[in-house]
Amino acid sequence: MSKDILEVISTRQSIRRYTAEPVSDELILKILEAARWAPSGENEQPWELIVVRNPETRAKIGELSKIGTGQRMHTEYCLGEMEKRFAGIEDPAKKASLMRFLCTGDVSLSPTTAPVLIVVMGKLKGMFDVPYDLSACIENMLLEAHSLGLGAVWVHGPAVYPRVVKKLKEILRIPTGVGEYKLIAYIAIGWPEGQRRHPRPKLPLEEIVHWEEYGRRARN
Amino acid sequence: MNNMKNRKLEYFNDLLYRLEEMLYHELSMCAHPKSELVGSDFLASGKIEGANLEQLLGNCLTEIKESGLVDDISYSLHASGTCLRLSVGNCIHMQKEARLKSEGIEPYCCPIANMILDRILGALHYLTTYTADIKVDEDKRRCVIKCAVFDSIGKIGQVSDWTRF
Repeated sequence: MSKDILEVISTRQSIRRYTAEPVSDELILKILEAARWAPSGENEQPWELIVVRNPETRAKIGELSKIGTGQRMHTEYCLGEMEKRFAGIEDPAKKASLMRFLCTGDVSLSPTTAPVLIVVMGKLKGMFDVPYDLSACIENMLLEAHSLGLGAVWVHGPAVYPRVVKKLKEILRIPTGVGEYKLIAYIAIGWPEGQRRHPRPKLPLEEIVHWEEYGRRARN
Repeated sequence: MNNMKNRKLEYFNDLLYRLEEMLYHELSMCAHPKSELVGSDFLASGKIEGANLEQLLGNCLTEIKESGLVDDISYSLHASGTCLRLSVGNCIHMQKEARLKSEGIEPYCCPIANMILDRILGALHYLTTYTADIKVDEDKRRCVIKCAVFDSIGKIGQVSDWTRF
């Protein structure tokens, strides 16, 4: 069997703007099915998924996401780090707009306007590789969504703050004990609104690959 | 007696160092926000309160000094009201911070800042807090920590310059 999926992989983008058109259960189930087939250490399959379509719940998740991301981006700006990060953007209006989008946390609010969120969590007890297994599960879902013509984005931001995670768990009625479940991220899924204007550049192989040993860049 | 106390402190900081090293290795700089609760129990269990930010900070700093966690500590607030600057001298955690730095890891977890920020949330019901920047001068045994404190969601995104603060 030889089926190259590089076309699907290399054309996927993080989509944060969606139309109001709902996503059918049939498509959601296909994405969930893709999650189920992800690799996991010792086939432990620690993942559990919550499909959120309720607009009120999505709005609550959005507010927490905005706080989590906004506070970090706000401080990055105030400490002068964001200016360095976007020094390459010459158009001042464009730069200001981008910085506002980040500093307010709206960058993490917009995904929750998607009609479907899939919250990804993993059972911790008796497991060995939970974060890595969950990441593979997320990638499977992103690729499947893209192959179906849907837009999706992986949102990790709110899951990095223990206090925010506790609130997210309370909203979703996930047991809040730190030893029970790891809530790692959510994926927003919907029909893309327009085309993304600025595909993010990817590093060339020459910059990321070493042959045989660290530091050897030449293939032969 | 002092020797024994120093050995215990050394042991305790070595444990913290190893844990922080591991967390950094697993999470890179995401270890920083993930560790926001480290230290938070100390003032919370003492139920340190205050009617407003200045009063609360005064009470927190007194408790921290009197308990011997640091030799001296002071604070200032940025005009925006969203940046709290802490200056901490001779903290009991200086050894682990210096060791992290010597291993090429920027210190990312200040239990002293964490315990103060936790009280701002717990006693004054601020929306959120975030340790923005930790500068450790191991030669002078002094740290300067800048923390974001937001009492409402509207403050997030109302940026100002903290570089010279």
